[in-house]
Formats: sequence, C-alpha cells, structure tokens
Amino acid sequence: MDKSVVHKIHVANNAAARAKGSRMPTQPIKLYYLPPSPPCRSVMMTARALDIDLELVLTNIMQGEHKTPEYLKMNPQHTIPTMDDSGFILWESRAILTYLVNAYGRTDSLYPKNPRQRALVDQRLNFDLGTLYKRYMDLYAPMLFHGQGYNDEAAEKLNEALGWLNSMLEGRVFVAGDTLTIADISIVVVFSNLEAFGFDFSAHENVAKWFERTKKSLEPYGYEEIDQAGARMLASFLKKE
Amino acid sequence: MPVDLYYVPGSAPCRAVLLTARALNLNLNLKLVDLHHGEHLKPEYLKINPQHTVPTLVDDGYPIYESRAIITYLVNKYGKGSALYPEEPKARALVDQRLYFDIGTLYQRFGDYFYPQIFGGAPADKDKLAKVEDALQLLDTFLDGQKYVAGPNLTVADLSIVAGVSSFEASDIDFKKYANVKRWYETVKSTAPGYQEANEKGLDAFKGLVNSILKK
Repeated sequence: MDKSVVHKIHVANNAAARAKGSRMPTQPIKLYYLPPSPPCRSVMMTARALDIDLELVLTNIMQGEHKTPEYLKMNPQHTIPTMDDSGFILWESRAILTYLVNAYGRTDSLYPKNPRQRALVDQRLNFDLGTLYKRYMDLYAPMLFHGQGYNDEAAEKLNEALGWLNSMLEGRVFVAGDTLTIADISIVVVFSNLEAFGFDFSAHENVAKWFERTKKSLEPYGYEEIDQAGARMLASFLKKE
Repeated sequence: MPVDLYYVPGSAPCRAVLLTARALNLNLNLKLVDLHHGEHLKPEYLKINPQHTVPTLVDDGYPIYESRAIITYLVNKYGKGSALYPEEPKARALVDQRLYFDIGTLYQRFGDYFYPQIFGGAPADKDKLAKVEDALQLLDTFLDGQKYVAGPNLTVADLSIVAGVSSFEASDIDFKKYANVKRWYETVKSTAPGYQEANEKGLDAFKGLVNSILKK
C-alpha cells in the first residue's frame, strides 16, 4: 500500500480512537534519541507497533547535548533514550517499552497482563540488560568508542550469553512465547548490531532462526529504516583493519 | 500450592525476593542451593533455569528467574492493588525505571568492582570504584525530596535496591556519605516488613563469607 495512504489511515485511526475515548497520548511523545543507539531503536519500533506518534529530538551525545543543564534537569542520568509524554519524563528503554504498552496498548499482546506470561517477558528484559546487552557492550564498546581491539575473553562471555538465549528459545517461536513481545523488540537490536559487525552467531541455531523470524515480524514497524539502518551506522564506527 | 524459592542466604537478589515475599505475607518453601558443589549446574536445576543463577522461583511448577522479574511477579500475582508495585502506568513506570537502574547501573557497578576482588582475587580498581560512586550519587539525586526511591511509598524498587546497597557494607564503599541514601537506608530498614529476618540475616552471612575470603 502506498506510504501516504498508510499514513492517512493511521492518522484517521488515531483520531477515531481518541473520539471513542480510548487512551492515546494527547500530543506526540517526545523522544530524545540518536539513530544508531540500540535502545532508542527498540523504543521507536515499539512506538510504531503501538501506532504512537513520536516527536523525535536529535540528541547528539558525541557533542555533549545530553549534559546541558536543561537535559540534566530532565534526566540526571543523562542517557538516551529519554521520553517526555506531555511532561511525564522517563528513561531506561525497557521501562519506556513497558510503559508504552501499559499506557497505550490497545491489546496486551506485546506485554501480556497475565502474571506468568508477563514474568517471562520481564525475565527476558532483565536478562537483556543485565547479561546479554552488558556482554555485547563489554566486547564492542571498547572497539566502537575507544579504538581498542577484539577481546577474546569478552567474546567468549558474549557467546556464553548467546548459548543461554538459545536454550531459552528451545521450543519457542519468540523469546517469551508464541507471539511477538517487547522482549523480542528489546533483544533484536543487539543482533542487528552483531549482524552489521560481522559477528557470527549461526552456531546458535534457535537464535539465528528467531532473528530472521523477528526481522520479518518487525518489517511493518520500521525494522529496515530504524533498526537495520541504525546498526549499519554503528558498524561504520568500528576500526577498519 | 507450593511456591519454592531456590536461593542462597548471602545473595542480594535472593534477599530482594525474601523481602518482597515477607511484605506480601507470602510463605515460600526455601530451598538452599549448594553452589559450592555445583548443584546449580546439575541437569535438574538447568531444567528450571538454563542460566543456572539464584534466585529461581518455582510457583506450582512454573519457574521464574531474575530477581526483579520474580518480585514484580509476586506482587502482580499475590498483591494485586498493593502499593508495592502500583498498577497506574506512570507510577509503575517509575518503579520499573528504578529496577532497571538497579540491575543495569547500581548493582552492576558494585558487582563489577567488588566481585572480582572477593571471587577472583583481583586488586581494587579505582576507575570501577569511581563508577560505583557515580551510581550512588545518582541514587542520592533520585532520593532528593523523596521518602522512597520511586515516590512516597515503599515499593519493590526499594526492596531490590536495599538488598544490593546493604551488601556494600561488606566492602570499602562508604555509601552513607550520601545524605539522602543514608536517610533512605535507615527508613527502609525500619519500615520494610521483616527486614531483620529477610535481609539482615542473609547480609550477615554475606559479610561472613567475604571476611573469610579476604582473610586468606
């Protein structure tokens, strides 16, 4: 379908939803972001999936735009993404993801309300921040931002985490069950990066299959222009051998 | 309907679960995991938790791990309507943000600084200590004019963070020099239900473990 038609339908749907009294943000939600930032990409794709309009505010952390007095007043932790929903400020991408579904999800499929299903999503999100993303950063941050070389020990630890994710995916279609959730959207950005960086994770078969499946599921929500494009931008920072 | 908790007393994430269960008046079947002899690496444990960490909760056969997912689950399931994890999206989001700050920044930096010393015999790293201090400064800022970390009420974010921060007492980190953190710490110690039993006891075990390692 033509993009402008899709946009018109989207605008009409949101107007209809507001008229019906269903919850939608009263004005576009501001997102302080940078395109290559993986957690920003998760938030942007989730907003698309929820039909939420974002007002994107470019925040160049390379030039200290996150450390201005105004930014620090808003977010003393000076991180991106930071969200401003008509004055309600929130940071930590995974808290933003859960908030967006809790507040504006027309259904709960992206973050099920059932306690057991929700716990599974929450465990995956915690595994993501505390283990997977951490070990990915331990390997790649020195290379991306400090011109250092490939650390085999760090790569081993990342592979260990990929092995755990592989086990978690055993018998599952998506990371937290049969349908796409915000856990997939949070975790996929790591793999978009790994793919763009040329890190081979094909040995982890469940992971590799899940990644292709999730890419397809996220295509309607801007996978290519948000996540893949952002990952490629980041890949250009890597020191060329 | 048994709710089993696989745990070790010294572990801060395990104590966060104990504190939450106590605040909900929920009885847990406590199952000690013999980490020393690799009980967590055996097939039976890997079946419930392939990442072989503690704590792991098994609720009527259903396993959940990651302490912060466990504690929010416990309130969602057994404490509906409780202020411990409010349902209103904005209030809940603030608790979630504090929990992610805990796992991703505060407790992580403490672990990065301290665990290599006690479990890996590594020397203290000044840069890593500076990062812990930075995280404590942030916590102090979050607590400015706030009784608890996520607002006027005790929440699971306080319980998770206090379990971690109390562990700092086993190290050389002086977290009490941050005025809001010190005040908050005293508040939670006196208002979190069953704090002595649920946290202080395990903390003593952790301190004992650290002392025996460092004395060698």
